[in-house]
Amino acid sequence: MSKRYLRVLSISLLFFPITTPLLAYEKRRGPEEVPDVPGGWDHLFNEMLIDITIVGIIFAAITIYLLIKYRQRYPGQEGSPLKLTTAAAIGWALIPAFVFMADDFYLAAEGWTLFNDYRRVPENAYEVKVEGSMWSWHFIYPEGVETFNELRVPAGTPVVVRMTSKDVIHSFFLPDFRVKEDMMPGRVTYLWFYPKDPGEHLITCAEYCGLMHSGMKGKIMAMPKDDFNNWIETEKKNSHT
Amino acid sequence: MHITYEALEHKPGLGQTLKEWIFTIDHKRIGILYLIGSMAAFAVAGLMALLIRIELSSVGPTITSNPGTYNVWLYFHGAAMILAFQIPALTGFLANYLVPLMIGAKDMAFPRLNALSLWLYWMGIIVALLTFVIPDSPDIMWTGYPPYSLKTGGNTAFYVFTVHLMGFSSIVGGINLITTILYMRAPGLTWNKLNIFVWSTLGAFILQMIFIPVLAAAVTTLLFDKYLGTHFYDPSAGGDVLLYQNLFWFYSHPAVYVILLPTIGIIFDIVATFARNRVFNYKMVVYGGIGGVVLMSGEVWIHHLFTSGMPDWIRIGMMISTLLISIPVGLLMIGLLGTLYRGAIQYTTPMLYAVGFIFLFLIGGLTGIPNAMTAIDLYIHDTHFVVAHFHYVMAVASTFAIFGSIYYLFPKMSGKMYSETLGKIGFFILFAGVNITFFTMFIIGFKGMPRRYYDYQQFAHLEGLQRIATIGAFIIGLGALVVLISWIHGLVAGKKAPDNPWGSKSIEWMTSTPPPPGNFSQIPVLSGEWHPYGYGRKE
Amino acid sequence: MNGHTSEHQLHWETSPWPLVLSIGILFLLPFAFSFYFVYSKPVMAVLSLGIGVPLTVLAIAGWISEGVGQKDEPGFSIAAMPLFIVAEAFIFVAFFVAYWVMRLGAPFWPPAGTPEISTGVPIIMTIILVSSSFTIHFGEVKMERGDKGGFLTWLVVTIILGTLFLVLSMTEYSHLFAEGFNFKTNSYSTAFFSITSFHASHVLVGIGMFICILIPALMGKMSKSFVKAASMYWHFVDIIWFFVVTQVYFWWAL
Ligand code: HEA
Ligand code: HEA
Ligand code: CUA
Ligand SMILES: [Cu+2]
Repeated sequence: MSKRYLRVLSISLLFFPITTPLLAYEKRRGPEEVPDVPGGWDHLFNEMLIDITIVGIIFAAITIYLLIKYRQRYPGQEGSPLKLTTAAAIGWALIPAFVFMADDFYLAAEGWTLFNDYRRVPENAYEVKVEGSMWSWHFIYPEGVETFNELRVPAGTPVVVRMTSKDVIHSFFLPDFRVKEDMMPGRVTYLWFYPKDPGEHLITCAEYCGLMHSGMKGKIMAMPKDDFNNWIETEKKNSHT
Repeated sequence: MHITYEALEHKPGLGQTLKEWIFTIDHKRIGILYLIGSMAAFAVAGLMALLIRIELSSVGPTITSNPGTYNVWLYFHGAAMILAFQIPALTGFLANYLVPLMIGAKDMAFPRLNALSLWLYWMGIIVALLTFVIPDSPDIMWTGYPPYSLKTGGNTAFYVFTVHLMGFSSIVGGINLITTILYMRAPGLTWNKLNIFVWSTLGAFILQMIFIPVLAAAVTTLLFDKYLGTHFYDPSAGGDVLLYQNLFWFYSHPAVYVILLPTIGIIFDIVATFARNRVFNYKMVVYGGIGGVVLMSGEVWIHHLFTSGMPDWIRIGMMISTLLISIPVGLLMIGLLGTLYRGAIQYTTPMLYAVGFIFLFLIGGLTGIPNAMTAIDLYIHDTHFVVAHFHYVMAVASTFAIFGSIYYLFPKMSGKMYSETLGKIGFFILFAGVNITFFTMFIIGFKGMPRRYYDYQQFAHLEGLQRIATIGAFIIGLGALVVLISWIHGLVAGKKAPDNPWGSKSIEWMTSTPPPPGNFSQIPVLSGEWHPYGYGRKE
Repeated sequence: MNGHTSEHQLHWETSPWPLVLSIGILFLLPFAFSFYFVYSKPVMAVLSLGIGVPLTVLAIAGWISEGVGQKDEPGFSIAAMPLFIVAEAFIFVAFFVAYWVMRLGAPFWPPAGTPEISTGVPIIMTIILVSSSFTIHFGEVKMERGDKGGFLTWLVVTIILGTLFLVLSMTEYSHLFAEGFNFKTNSYSTAFFSITSFHASHVLVGIGMFICILIPALMGKMSKSFVKAASMYWHFVDIIWFFVVTQVYFWWAL
């Protein structure tokens, strides 16, 4: 009877790692919708935090319990270990391994989903080129306008930056948008973000690049669309003259 | 020139003693010389950490107005803590001192190579310390990424040579240790009766033998590029900047398991001794835990390159493989908890450190999970969150294991007992300090502050948290000082130690204290019943 | 393990040579290199070499005279050499990875500025190195049979072949230098010189090992285990050379 029960249990455990990732499956979005990456990040971080906190608390609680329960009562007391049968020994290795694996696969599936959002650039994104150099950012807009350390973008449009570097490796870090990607000489990398509303956001360098690494900062200015278009037009004229 | 055993009894003169120490080829003395070197490195690099913390305690310049100075401190702190403190303390001191004793051998397979390994390590320390002497101190952080390391005016060569010397030392040591474990076990010591520490050292050195050469090649190419003009990392001439990062982390990720394995191995030995219990599910721990870590450690390095511009598929693949490492490590944790189960736990200082290790490692290991999830890492990579993660696992948990093992072996090494009171006071101060410092760092990192920042105008609102971390660092410093005092006190004023103060069953405690040259007056004869963790059993 | 204790084990054994050797290495490599290439102080570099070379040679000599041929020598060299070879192999793996990353990333290969690399010389070098593998094997066989004279002869022949290999390598280099092909030329030269010089340095180490066998052997001291280990190393160097030749010299064949 109990053997049968054990067998059923172990078989369902076998499927555990396969089934848990399915829990992470979410409804697909339509192509026009821009996914909310920072929101997704916050959500996933919380979920992950709860997950590891539970694991941590289980382990810590068991430890504390064992530490109190099994302290030595009189000098010379020895432990009284139970002898593990072979089945128990294997079970103690396989069952936890499967449970951990299930949790890992679940987290991996969740992370994968969000990562896809990170890497799939929405259509019609506004594309800006960035070149990093010690210790500033140089932005080149599709209209031919150039700025330093200040990236102006139209609010309400996803923006993709194509990045490279003149000298050493830098990293284009946008804390508010929960994203960063390295920029390096000889390669082009990209990231995208979605400034929903007008406002200012920090850009800061997150890869060690020497003396002024910590001073290598700039800002994103998300402007109302019309303001932005006006600005681009005036800048275009300025650069022609 | 040989002196006889009788001469030893008659207290050799100072000159003779000195000679017997610096020319020694005895594994115990070599181990102790390793310990001295690594503790010196810890002290100097720890002082650098204090300077770093003071500098970060306020926005803007605090004690230096030159960011370059900060970068040199941080370079030295990271490189010395890993290369000169932690790896040598575990695979140099502990492995050297314990492995031959634990397997009942008179010495290592190659005593002279062992001494060579020691002195190469010390030469590495000398080159590292020259950082403070030369005008163009290296400022390339312990990772040394090109092209910065090629463009900087700092002396990249000294970084490379430090790595070379330490690496060569480890390879020589690895050859020696693996040969010793394979061929010099006492008669009757079968594979399933090896201490967990011996197994884990074996695992660590297998990793060292395979991966150090790759690091050596990586830094050598840096040297060639910078000083001989080759083009490995020069994209304008067909080189590739990402190549170095891949080679570097191909070694340096396994290196963290080179640190973890002996750490957890000695924790197993301490826990079994003081819980007076056998190791729970020995075969699971050895083959599943240690074996699993060794097998899996080589295929996850991309998790350090999640934002480096590697192809997306490989980032996903290595997210999964990294997450899966929690399985063997989890099995090791279960082994530790199972060893407490039905034990009779004695709370001596080494045991306190082992208990501290369990909690601190849980925090550190579990916060590896968010790092491993690619999407989450896109935000927290290169922030203080990562700094907090690796300080918890490495700087704190492993250092606790090292301190605990020094207390554990103190009677055996010195023949004196340390003071439990001082030892415990030191432990509690350290435990408080590390949590204050490094837990705060998680929050700082979560709020987005990047690492390797000398100044943080952009994150000025984090000043309060930074202050707390700085205060914590000083508490750690105080704790370290108490620990140091307890050791000196033990050496100077400790009671004479018996041969086996802990009542351990393991072979290293069967010999006299401190062990004589040749370790055992008689090669231990092990009965079929005997087991290093045979507690609670009638023999 | 040989069971019982003897008087011999009961004192702290010492040897100054490991310490001397590591000091020698410190001057030989880090200091000499840094003085020359980093600080452009050739005089100091020569001075460093002047300290490093004698210390190293002295230490090796002392080490050998102390270590080789001891009666209770356990003969672990032969067990340890495979481990060392694994480590060495991975250095080459890393260099070859670097080579292939550059080569596969290049728009065309070889990159501009590469002169004609001769095909004759590497073939001759291959023949030399392969035959040296055989000669050392013959030497080993002689040693097993107890024919010390025969062993020494084959050992010397091997050393000569190895040296010949290095000489050819040097002439090849000077030709290429003369054509303006050096470390700095392009990514192919980067890989070419790094890998071949690294391999050559292994040949040099192998020859060094053989000399460390030859001299004590002439004085009547020999360690069979060490001879076997050294010959194993030499075979390894030979095998690596196949990779070097096929991928770096005859790159167009792949
Ligand atoms: C001793 C050193 C050590 C150890 C053991 C670890 C262990 C782990 N580390 Fe850490 N790590 C470092 C030292 C170490 N690390 C260092 C030095 C760096 C930074 C270097 C630098 O950039 O300068 C770093 C950086 C680092 C990164 C890169 C972050 C970044 O730069 O963005 C990542 C990413 O994946 C990572 C992950 C992990 C994981 C998953 C583990 C796992 O092995 C942890 C496994 C343990 C547990 C999970 C807890 C116990 C298990 C259980 C209780 C079972 C149940 C749990 C689950 C199912 C989740 N580490
Ligand atoms: C084992 C490794 C190890 C250890 C033990 C430590 C210990 C400490 N580290 Fe370390 N740290 C690293 C490894 C380690 N670190 C690495 C690899 C980096 C990354 C570097 C890089 O970015 O490249 C880093 C980076 C790093 C940073 C990030 C800085 C930045 O990115 O800008 C900070 C900031 O607070 C920090 C702080 C500390 C502190 C406060 C301690 C404290 O725990 C130190 C406490 C010690 C002392 C205060 C010494 C006191 C000694 C005595 C009083 C004498 C007593 C002597 C004996 C007991 C023998 N470290
Ligand atoms: Cu640019 Cu850091
Ligand atoms: Cu890692």
